[in-house]
Amino acid sequence: MRVYWEIAKRALSRQLTYRTATLAGLATNFYFGLLRAAVMAALYGARAQVDGISLQAAITYTGLAQSLIAVISLLGWFEVMRSINKGEISSDLLRPIGYFKFWLAQDLGKAAAQLALRGIPLMLGYALFFDILLPQTLWHWLAVFLALGLAVLLSFSWRFLVNLVGFWVTDATSIGRVVYIFSWFLSGFLMPLRFFPDWFVRLCYLTPFPHTINTIVEIYLGVLTPGQMLRALLLQLAWFVGLTLACSWVLRRGIRHLVIQGG
Amino acid sequence: MFFGASEFDITKAQAHNDATKRLSQVVIRVHDLHKYFQVPIRQRGRFSALRSLLVRRHRLVKAVNGVSFQIGRGELVGYLGPNGAGKSTTIKMLTGLLVPTHGEISVNGRIPWKQREEHVKSLGAVFGFRSTLWWDLPVIESLELLRYIYDVPLARFKDNLREFRKILEMDAFINTPVRSLSLGQRVRADVCAALLHDPSLLFLDEPTIGLDVVAKERIRQFILHANRQRGTTVLLTTHDLSDVEKMCQRVMIIDRGKLLYDGQLESLRQRFGGKRELVVELVDEEDQISIEGAIVTSRQGAQVMFQFDRDQISASELIQRISSNYRIRDLSVREPDLEATIRRIYEQRLLEDAV
Repeated sequence: MRVYWEIAKRALSRQLTYRTATLAGLATNFYFGLLRAAVMAALYGARAQVDGISLQAAITYTGLAQSLIAVISLLGWFEVMRSINKGEISSDLLRPIGYFKFWLAQDLGKAAAQLALRGIPLMLGYALFFDILLPQTLWHWLAVFLALGLAVLLSFSWRFLVNLVGFWVTDATSIGRVVYIFSWFLSGFLMPLRFFPDWFVRLCYLTPFPHTINTIVEIYLGVLTPGQMLRALLLQLAWFVGLTLACSWVLRRGIRHLVIQGG
Repeated sequence: MFFGASEFDITKAQAHNDATKRLSQVVIRVHDLHKYFQVPIRQRGRFSALRSLLVRRHRLVKAVNGVSFQIGRGELVGYLGPNGAGKSTTIKMLTGLLVPTHGEISVNGRIPWKQREEHVKSLGAVFGFRSTLWWDLPVIESLELLRYIYDVPLARFKDNLREFRKILEMDAFINTPVRSLSLGQRVRADVCAALLHDPSLLFLDEPTIGLDVVAKERIRQFILHANRQRGTTVLLTTHDLSDVEKMCQRVMIIDRGKLLYDGQLESLRQRFGGKRELVVELVDEEDQISIEGAIVTSRQGAQVMFQFDRDQISASELIQRISSNYRIRDLSVREPDLEATIRRIYEQRLLEDAV
């Protein structure tokens, strides 16, 4: 277990070395956040509330969505695919260490760094410009961070699964991109899912994506009852476990393909 | 040069003795190993792209085609062959990264691909053309992470690191990120990383590729050190024959998937080395020089070069014959270099009928 902690620590410190990139990313996320907040305000016009979400909550939502981009690598993450295609995977397979866990630990370290360097500063910046909503109780905060942690795990699992296509297809980044773009809609990153018709939301919830951003947003904004909140957290966990099992099944087949067909 | 030839001869002789002592313990056992690949054929002509999308035609490539050998504990074996001969495929099967199509393979009593995670714990591997270290971490961070990955006791790790840092002269760049290292430094870091967990078996795939003379020498010294002091079994693939000359007693040559030669480097040289040369500087310039058993290939003033065959006449015999006819001021014997020998073997396929 210790080894994965050490891997995560190093992944975190690795992120800290890219200061300029982090700062540029933060500025971009923040700029688009302001833009999205302005659009939201224009759309609301004189209305106080849409589908149970107030304008204040909607603006808070744009901040949350923007600050999660880097934490759950929403714009795309193809490192495993690249490592498979370039054959670097051979070096990793020569280490006595689980391949999935090796990447998961790195992703958790990276997510922690992105949260500290981009997620939280962005929300603080938002608090300067807007009157944003804040959870009022310790329990509420705990639920938010629990949902966030589960969202990172779950998002890693589906991203890893997409990357495994690399075992069978050389340079599958275009396939990957399509999945990522779908995830923007389905996760509630572009718009809160509450704004969409019920049938569409139900469709979204057949995929793992809403359990990342939309669940965090709804828990943060406090639009869920405690019972619904618990159910949402358990669903996140279930998706994470399910996707992880899928990953290990596909990974085993991928490695078998690799060791029989060659790199 | 940094290390005199005599020093190397001693180390090689020592290593050779040790190797024969330990040979009773077989570490790698390979029997009738085959690996075939299905390689898609690119179709030509009209709609070729569309056709190859619909119907893939494949060609069977026999990368390794019936190879057998055994390597004993503590041996340092050179594995040679032209590009595409099947060297890397063999290494990949030995490390568990490829499953053989046919044949038996056992390393440390394990079947590599079946028990990969257990198997790789006792392995070290260096690929000269690719680093296994983390690109943007300082060297020391990578090495410390490897301690956790291989679960090396702290005291052992510290001892090893201290020793390796000294031999490989790593102090200057131990805190530098791997991406900023020169090639020579990077390979040194990689070699160090491969041995920190005291592997019983070390695979080196062209470890000295692209390095300058000094760096090559340092890596070779270190590998010899690991082999001699720690009894690490080493399998080395390389295209640099001075690697082989300076480190290996035993070589295996593979081409087109078949093992062409497996034996002592010296006997390879003797069998296929071709002609030796004797350069003699005479006291007087002679008009006519002819010696039975050798031919004169060039003359420059008093300096004469003879070429002779080791099967027909020994060097001392030849020198005697010359000195009984002419007065000699100075002389030297030139062995055919290994490079030329191996080239002859590859080009003329000398070994094909031999095995």
